[in-house]
Amino acid sequence: MSLKDIISPFNVWKRAAQKPWTIKDPLNDRPGADNYRGFHKNDFDKCVGCGTCEDICQNAAIDLVPVQTVETDMSDSGLRPKIDYGRCCWCALCVDVCPTGSLTMSNDYTWVTDDPEEYRFIPGADKMKWDDCEKGYKRAENFQLIDFDRIKMNELGVEERSSSFIEMVKGYSKEQAIEEAERCLECGICVARCPAHMDIPEYIKAIREDDIELAVQILYKTNPFSASCGRICTHHCEDVCSLAHNGEPIAIRWLKRYILDQVSPEEISKILKDIIQTNNKKIAIIGAGPGGLSAAYYLRLLGYEIEIFESNEKGGGMLRYGIPEYRLPYDQLDKDIDYIVSLGVKINYNTKISEEAKFNEIYNSHDALFISPGLWNSIPVNITGEELPNVISGIDLLNKVTNKEEIDLGSKVAVIGGGNSAMDAARTAKRLGADVEIYYRRRIEDMPADVEEIEEAQDENVKFFPQTTPLEIKKDGSGLKFIWGNNKMIYEEGKRPKPVLIKGETFETNLDTFIIAIGQNADLSFLPTEIRDNIETKWGKVVVNELGQTSVEKVFSGGDASNSKADAVSAIADGHKAAVGIDRYLNK
Amino acid sequence: MEQILNRLKQKIEIKSVINKRADLYFITIKKEHIELVLSHLKQQENFTHLAFLQAVDYIEDDKFQLTYMLYNYDIKVNLGIKVFIDRDKSEMTSIHKLWPHAWQYQRELKELFGIDFPGSPRVDESFVLEGWEEIPPMRRDFDTLAYSVKTFYQRPGRTTNDPKRYMKEKLYKNFAKSPESGRNDE
Amino acid sequence: MSRISKNKYDNFKADRSKFPQMENGKAIIDLDSHKFTKLWQGPQHPGVTGNMAVELTISGDEIVQAKTHVGYLHRGFEKLLERRKYIQCFTIVCRICVPEPDTNEYCYSTAVEELAGIEIPEKAKWIRTLNMEMSRLASFLMWLGGQAGSLGMGAIGQWTVGMRDFWLDLFEEMTGGRIYHMYMIPGGVRKDLPEGFIMRAKHLVVETRKLLFDIEKSFFNNAIIKSRLKCLGIITPEMVDEYGIVGPNARASGKEYDVRMNNPYLKYPELDIKMITSMGGDAFTRAEVRYQEIHQTLDLISQILDKIPEKGEIQAKIPNVVNWKIPTGETYVKAESTRGEHGFYVVSDGTKYPRRVYNRGASYTQAISVLEKLAVNTSISDLAGLMVSLHTCPPEIER
Repeated sequence: MSLKDIISPFNVWKRAAQKPWTIKDPLNDRPGADNYRGFHKNDFDKCVGCGTCEDICQNAAIDLVPVQTVETDMSDSGLRPKIDYGRCCWCALCVDVCPTGSLTMSNDYTWVTDDPEEYRFIPGADKMKWDDCEKGYKRAENFQLIDFDRIKMNELGVEERSSSFIEMVKGYSKEQAIEEAERCLECGICVARCPAHMDIPEYIKAIREDDIELAVQILYKTNPFSASCGRICTHHCEDVCSLAHNGEPIAIRWLKRYILDQVSPEEISKILKDIIQTNNKKIAIIGAGPGGLSAAYYLRLLGYEIEIFESNEKGGGMLRYGIPEYRLPYDQLDKDIDYIVSLGVKINYNTKISEEAKFNEIYNSHDALFISPGLWNSIPVNITGEELPNVISGIDLLNKVTNKEEIDLGSKVAVIGGGNSAMDAARTAKRLGADVEIYYRRRIEDMPADVEEIEEAQDENVKFFPQTTPLEIKKDGSGLKFIWGNNKMIYEEGKRPKPVLIKGETFETNLDTFIIAIGQNADLSFLPTEIRDNIETKWGKVVVNELGQTSVEKVFSGGDASNSKADAVSAIADGHKAAVGIDRYLNK
Repeated sequence: MEQILNRLKQKIEIKSVINKRADLYFITIKKEHIELVLSHLKQQENFTHLAFLQAVDYIEDDKFQLTYMLYNYDIKVNLGIKVFIDRDKSEMTSIHKLWPHAWQYQRELKELFGIDFPGSPRVDESFVLEGWEEIPPMRRDFDTLAYSVKTFYQRPGRTTNDPKRYMKEKLYKNFAKSPESGRNDE
Repeated sequence: MSRISKNKYDNFKADRSKFPQMENGKAIIDLDSHKFTKLWQGPQHPGVTGNMAVELTISGDEIVQAKTHVGYLHRGFEKLLERRKYIQCFTIVCRICVPEPDTNEYCYSTAVEELAGIEIPEKAKWIRTLNMEMSRLASFLMWLGGQAGSLGMGAIGQWTVGMRDFWLDLFEEMTGGRIYHMYMIPGGVRKDLPEGFIMRAKHLVVETRKLLFDIEKSFFNNAIIKSRLKCLGIITPEMVDEYGIVGPNARASGKEYDVRMNNPYLKYPELDIKMITSMGGDAFTRAEVRYQEIHQTLDLISQILDKIPEKGEIQAKIPNVVNWKIPTGETYVKAESTRGEHGFYVVSDGTKYPRRVYNRGASYTQAISVLEKLAVNTSISDLAGLMVSLHTCPPEIER
């Protein structure tokens, strides 16, 4: 033991004279770090109430509760997270997984109240002192716990596909499908948006667990046209996917297609094990489109005898005659139809109901009727020259292609319209070898067609001329001469921008064929006058109640003829609803 | 490492060898061989450090897996030795004579998994759970959530909603239910 | 071995010829004889590290028998982890240890990455290395205060815990939390370093060195400390293997085992680092080894701050964590904490939930088997100093 060891410890006194490290007023002088994980904030404008925060919270500190200021709509569950600060551990996983980025944390860390119940609060709804606090924990840009990027779908190259009718989308492999299915957060917001309310999270889960049988069973509960819908559905479900707010939505449509791609028609009936117990009541269905056939399927499951009257030579309606083969190959459509037919549904093809007597006979010999005639009349543009022989409608063109008729469009074709039918017509014309231009009166972003359809058309070298209105068609030698006017957009608060013709700004083009695809309406002329007079219509559509019943109580209606969405999945939903409606009507 | 395993293979049967990392191996051996293997590895091959002894419950196979993690300071390699034992009346040879601190692991395993190590010191004393009356809690059939619901006071006033069901209730309550009368997929 | 001092009680050894009666080298303890007293140190006692208790049988003020009791802290982490998704586990593992949570985060994250086959980006590795060393430093500072405090020198505890707080400020800036950082997540780290962080950290390294200089003068050059810690709780080299002793405790007895050098991980191979060992084996040697390791850690932090790349990815691509399934497998990942080898043994069965997560902490044996052995023949007043010198941490026992 040295003397140094005895003297040296007195060094401690040196520090007694130093300035203390203590912060005098920590509540005010010591804010949390910029990145501090303090109390929660929630931006209600961004939040969609998907509940991923609740799922990830390992403490079960988060509940989803309705709040007064938010309405439930198709893209927002109207629920908001309520956090129990008695359980929260401030790990911020909820912030990291929030797909919309609405949930963040402030750097505030002091909150004193004498009521413990207050520590259960809804960030964003209950006004808090840190609501305007800019600093605090947010998910870093280069850090993510959920996968925002969709698995790329294999497609035919632009060269290959613009010259043939081979299906352009190749479909997912098993690995790709499972990987895509793993991205799903299972929030279920898509279910409400789907017109048929398919149980999307459940069948995606079945894919993830590689249980195709279960997936097929789930699909058929709400949609007997999954092979077709998996290809051509307007997939509004993907628009509301909670991943779509900051990334790419789940490829719900392709996953549905993947399920049906895995099973052969024979396997479908083995998986579904549908057993029919006939109840000797007879239902007639007019039109074997997706609406009519869906109604037939569900009615058949309930035991009814079904007779379908179809004017075309094959079933499927617009799916066959209005959608080109490169999007929906006929064998896939047949797969869906054949299963329905195999349950004992009778279809009379090539049977157009044009006489009153025929309709009355059907009307009297069946217990109920479901009419889904579809939209087959093209809406005209109403300009001079429309009656010229080289002016055709989009639906005619697609119809002729399906029937493999000889078509000569010439080398330069213009399509007018901005919907999916216009895109289908244009891309079909392209595949027939023409140079195609699309004219539309609003801007490209206003087009009702799916974004991918527009992009694919652009890839295939279809030229777009937005904000144009046709003024006149003239005959010019063997072709046509067109006079177009340019439009400007007028904006009004809360309304769709309106195109208005700019006076004096016109231009001319020479064309071989002009295709009109601005819309179609229903032809209800097959109905006898007394029924037609009794059935209420509005804007050319048959008015039905929520179970598909028209104002003539024995007649139910659905599909494009009665809903305004005019897409396949809405028609399928109509068929399903009407099936339940008819069952209730006949058993009341 | 290869040589060590080869020498070991000459003595007993090794069911599987997994080379997880350059410095981490796992081997599976038979239950009866454990003392032989461990003393061989400790005394002949210099695996002198017992890092841990733990169990994994494979309830579906009705087995416990015991993992003895050894370390060799010379070649700087961890070697995990796996043994499978029956889950019913589970019992294992005690190794406290090889490593005196092994009694601690064995006492813990007795309490948390219910695996007995006859002869191990203080193996029957309770370790962390004094007065425990349920089944050994680390067994997979012990349900922690059910236990805590049963044992502790649940704070009232918590309700939550599932977005899918809530939206159905709000937006399309009356939408057709799938006719299931003709379907026997249950 | 010559440096190992003789037991200090050898000098004034009591006459044991009659009392206590011995049998097979162990004292026969008969409480009814009133020559022995049962004394509980802990679970609530300032002289006990954390929430544990030592049941002492004393004769006079000499400990004849010690038994460690734990269970006051059992939170069943390992069981909880089996019921949580891999990503949810990440928020729990750090809670196993308060003074040094990052080692748990690192080991768990790395084990999951290894099972899932993920390689994390360079920058993330550098940040993790920095984080690990900072957490070692914070833990050592707390230990140093504890060691001094357990011997009645409270001033040093205030200095080091105060200094630790400045390091926690840096942690707060970096990770968003002071104690539980929840920063090293499977796949990388959660945020890049904030602006100006490196400058502030370098400044703090200088400040800490200044403080250590004062501590060296007042603590290590201190006659009282020396007389109390020298010869206390000697761990012989033979005991190291028998009891699975690791870390500074083993290195103070000459065992060359430091995971950072024996089985290098993260960016340690690129750093200039030397094993610190000594031969004393007693509590003072252990304190010296730790003191040198604090300097080593400060040195490593400076090296990392110089080498850390400015730009780079901080996270490898991971799938959606809500549905993250890890392929079947098992692994053991270890790292050097302030107490020694700290590891996670993770077994996955191909589902979203781990089959088994086991956390191996150095204190598991050091606070029970080793303490029970070393406490015998020491006095009650030395027990606290002995426990701190073993750097026991009860959470590692109960988990």
